[in-house]
Amino acid sequence: MQKIDDFSMELNFTETYRRNINEHIAIREARCHQAQFPAVLTEIQDNDRLAGRTFWGWVGFSPHNAPNGAAYGYFCHEQKIIEAIERGNIPLEQRDGVHELLHFWKKETSKAKVEAAFTEKMLPVLFRDEIVSLPYNFKPLIANPIYRMAGVFVDYEKLLRLGIPGLKTEITEYMEKSKASGGDYKLYEGMLIALDVFTESCRHYEKQALEKAQITNDPKRAKELFQLVKVLKKITVSKPESFYEALQLSWLYTLICGSLELGRVDVYLGDFYVNDIDNGIITEKEALSLMHSYWRLINELFRDVDGRVIIGGRGRRNEANADRFALLVLETMRTYGRAILPQTTLRFYEGMNPELMEKSISLIGDGHTFPLLYNDDVLVSGVAAAHDVPVEDAEQYMPLGCGEIVIDHMGFGTPSGSLNVLKALDVTLRNGVDHISDKQLGLQTGHLKDFKTFDEFFDAFKEQLAFFIEILADHEELEYLESGKQAPYLYLSILYDDCIARGKAIFSGGIKYLGGSLESFGSVNTADSLTAIKKMVFDEKLISAEGLLEALNNNFVGFEKEHKLLKECPKYGNDDKYADDMMVELHDYMCNTIRDQRDRTNLDWYLNVLINNKQNTILGRWVGASADGRKAGREMANANTPAGGNDKKGVTALINSLVKPSHAIHAGTVQNMRFGRDFFTNDRTKFEVILHTYFKKGGAQAMITVINRGDLENALVEPEKHQDLFVRIGGFSARYIDLPRDVQYEILSRVTY
Amino acid sequence: MSKKAIVFDIQRASLHDGPGIRTTIFLKGCPLNCLWCHNPEATSAHRQLFFHFDKCTQCGDCEKVCKEGVTHFNDGKHTIDYHKCKFCGKCVDACNFNALKITGTEMSIEEVMLEIMADVDFYTNSGGGMTLSGGEPLMHFSFSLELLKKCKEMCVNTCVETSGFVSTIQFNQILPYVDLLLFDYKVTGTSDYMNFTGVPNKLILENLDIAYHHGVPIILRCPIIPGINDTDLHFKGIHALNEEYPNLIGIEILPYHTMGNNKRTSIGSEETLTHLKTVPPEVSDKWIELLKNLGCEKAKIG
Repeated sequence: MQKIDDFSMELNFTETYRRNINEHIAIREARCHQAQFPAVLTEIQDNDRLAGRTFWGWVGFSPHNAPNGAAYGYFCHEQKIIEAIERGNIPLEQRDGVHELLHFWKKETSKAKVEAAFTEKMLPVLFRDEIVSLPYNFKPLIANPIYRMAGVFVDYEKLLRLGIPGLKTEITEYMEKSKASGGDYKLYEGMLIALDVFTESCRHYEKQALEKAQITNDPKRAKELFQLVKVLKKITVSKPESFYEALQLSWLYTLICGSLELGRVDVYLGDFYVNDIDNGIITEKEALSLMHSYWRLINELFRDVDGRVIIGGRGRRNEANADRFALLVLETMRTYGRAILPQTTLRFYEGMNPELMEKSISLIGDGHTFPLLYNDDVLVSGVAAAHDVPVEDAEQYMPLGCGEIVIDHMGFGTPSGSLNVLKALDVTLRNGVDHISDKQLGLQTGHLKDFKTFDEFFDAFKEQLAFFIEILADHEELEYLESGKQAPYLYLSILYDDCIARGKAIFSGGIKYLGGSLESFGSVNTADSLTAIKKMVFDEKLISAEGLLEALNNNFVGFEKEHKLLKECPKYGNDDKYADDMMVELHDYMCNTIRDQRDRTNLDWYLNVLINNKQNTILGRWVGASADGRKAGREMANANTPAGGNDKKGVTALINSLVKPSHAIHAGTVQNMRFGRDFFTNDRTKFEVILHTYFKKGGAQAMITVINRGDLENALVEPEKHQDLFVRIGGFSARYIDLPRDVQYEILSRVTY
Repeated sequence: MSKKAIVFDIQRASLHDGPGIRTTIFLKGCPLNCLWCHNPEATSAHRQLFFHFDKCTQCGDCEKVCKEGVTHFNDGKHTIDYHKCKFCGKCVDACNFNALKITGTEMSIEEVMLEIMADVDFYTNSGGGMTLSGGEPLMHFSFSLELLKKCKEMCVNTCVETSGFVSTIQFNQILPYVDLLLFDYKVTGTSDYMNFTGVPNKLILENLDIAYHHGVPIILRCPIIPGINDTDLHFKGIHALNEEYPNLIGIEILPYHTMGNNKRTSIGSEETLTHLKTVPPEVSDKWIELLKNLGCEKAKIG
């Protein structure tokens, strides 16, 4: 058991950092890794076939939110530490040190470094000292900074091709060259120490597996553990040769480098798997058993919004082998049973082995919320255009976590900010003032009544959006800059193009593409609100500007007539030109303005993402009633999906609307579609045709949930009987009964076909 | 001038009114008056005031704007003189709770075609198309004929759902533009047909015969209402038709359901068959079994 109130690791880590505070950042980070690993690696569990579990400390180093809510880079989870202090269980000799480390990290964490570097323009907008961590964002903000380096997709192929010894050889060669030419060789030195830490961690588990093998009474388990010992020993001294070794090495590297994504498993594991199967080295049953262990680890260690296992698609050098492995992945899903993770993702294109899609559709029909479907025929060219990269790089696109698209081991693009678009509209109605906090959040562009035409009003709104977008883009740039100054992120730099060759760390000029993304929320409600304002206030003049504001301020209470008129205005999602054109105009403006930020910053790309997680609900709590008829505090529509209950004309009309906004100007949207189980089981051919037509018409992505309304309603009444009911909310799957009640209602309100 | 008809609904992504994915156009007006009709608002060929009584909050706003004296509030009861309504729509606008609407919208061929063509990709990929339904769509003969011709010009598959109660001359003109007929067969026996549907069956059976020999694919659609036509006589009648017309491409049983009944009171009509409940699947499965035993292999639930 983890002794949560034992802070020896955290104290040692802090001490190591301080001792090396003036050292080269690569050496400092490497030594911090020594303090962290294997200390945070936890025990092999009884049914684990693979070694590698973590229980991160409350102080440490990781690119991405290792313990949830801890931010990134050098992190210190103040809340957890204070809780421990208040429990009073910290060993006496550690207490002074723990109090003191809280003070020390206050200014030293990666997040603190970024905040300290905020510009004058950022300060009033990003509310440095008032940020409360999500999901409890109690501040009605428009622009929210996000602290993480999310979406790590390291070069697993290189890792498995060279193994740890091969990587060391390569790095050593570069180091010698750098030394000879008087370059900054310390980065390489840090990398080598980091790889030694990795090897140490393998040995740590090798020893542990051996001990466990020797004491177990179960001969079958003993045999498994001895096999694991051999595998772990092998990967410390050579490159992997078997599927088992490859899987173990890739899993442990994922864990130690702090990635939460698994990437293109079919490509990097496919050859090993096929070789072992075809040469009788492993049986299908044994491979499946290893995969189940892999699945269980991902499920238990990663969070719902992460954990992408990606199969299929264009740009796989070993397509036939990869397809065979992809089928193993689908078989793993089927036999493992419904699970929240991994977020298995099927990339497909016309001409790909149809078995992958057929099996995937069967899984979806059986109530697995995966795989998520990504249409390469639309996305490869879309990514090439949006990210401005050559097609061969675009073929290596990877949707991370909730669906932000980056490029496999070539391009980073962490979402470092979110924009509440509907709230930006809210303040535009009121001369930039937020009527909930009474703060001037936006620019003073005038009151709704001051605008003579709708176009003037829309222009003012666009000005507001551009203002927030620029700040968020600057923030993304700043986050990378400060992160790079503080640490080279060694494990990432080792396996990201072209850090080793350039002798530069990932965020300091080493990576091939340094991009970014902005998560926007509430676009659909905003478009529908703009439609209603245009129609009611400016065109038909059925509601005055003052009347609209009064109705909104009163949450429509006493303004039922206005509420009815607003609700009856055309809504996005019904193949209605009036409403859909507004969505397209807003989408184009948002995406293009965000994309243009690369001209203002040193980012290779900066792109909008219309993904979803729970934020449509969480951010919606702080938006007053909106002109589309949405009441105050209620959830905003998810990603690119029509607001709940507003798509009334059926799935074909919905699809016709969904394909209107362009896919060549952003870094990912999420298209939720729910189909009733009856539709799916009784009319599967028609379901497939609808899906096929959607993709042929330019649909980029689909997240399909097959459930019926009755299931959800029953689950509200008798949750304990519906624990197997999983739903997907865009970026993640969740057990329906575990969701907050308002999120449950929001899901229920979406139309089920 | 384009022809117009009163449309009471357009249902896109319709899955069960013919093959593939379809758009179903419901025209208002029917010469029959079947006791079990689940679209009672489609009987009249005219627009109608439609009142959702459960949405009414008795606020009285509708009474204030109505110049014709259609709505009244007496002793907490909202009553409506439907026959006085001139369809001005003022009460519909006044009602904040969407308790009132006017059912039926006059639409031109062009307007309907626009809606149909929006989903043409779905038809192409699924073998679907347009289904003309009602009411009795062929009551609007010239509109239906032109709409069907337009669809065929655009290579859209056409399906017509009909009671068959239409003049033979007109029916003959329609047939060349129909890819599939969903032909109702409601009751067996001349007098019962008259009693339960309000019209004789002679013309209907003649038209069925004409369509069959014209070579149009036909699916027979048979609503089965407990206590009315769930009789041996009727099942044997269905079987007889199957024997006479062996190339019928399907026989669909439509078990009675109550979902249309409260719509009757919404348009000011009396409820019918109030003693009946929705037929449970175990009962309708028995009907299918019975028909199969008689030799109707193609019988299934529609």
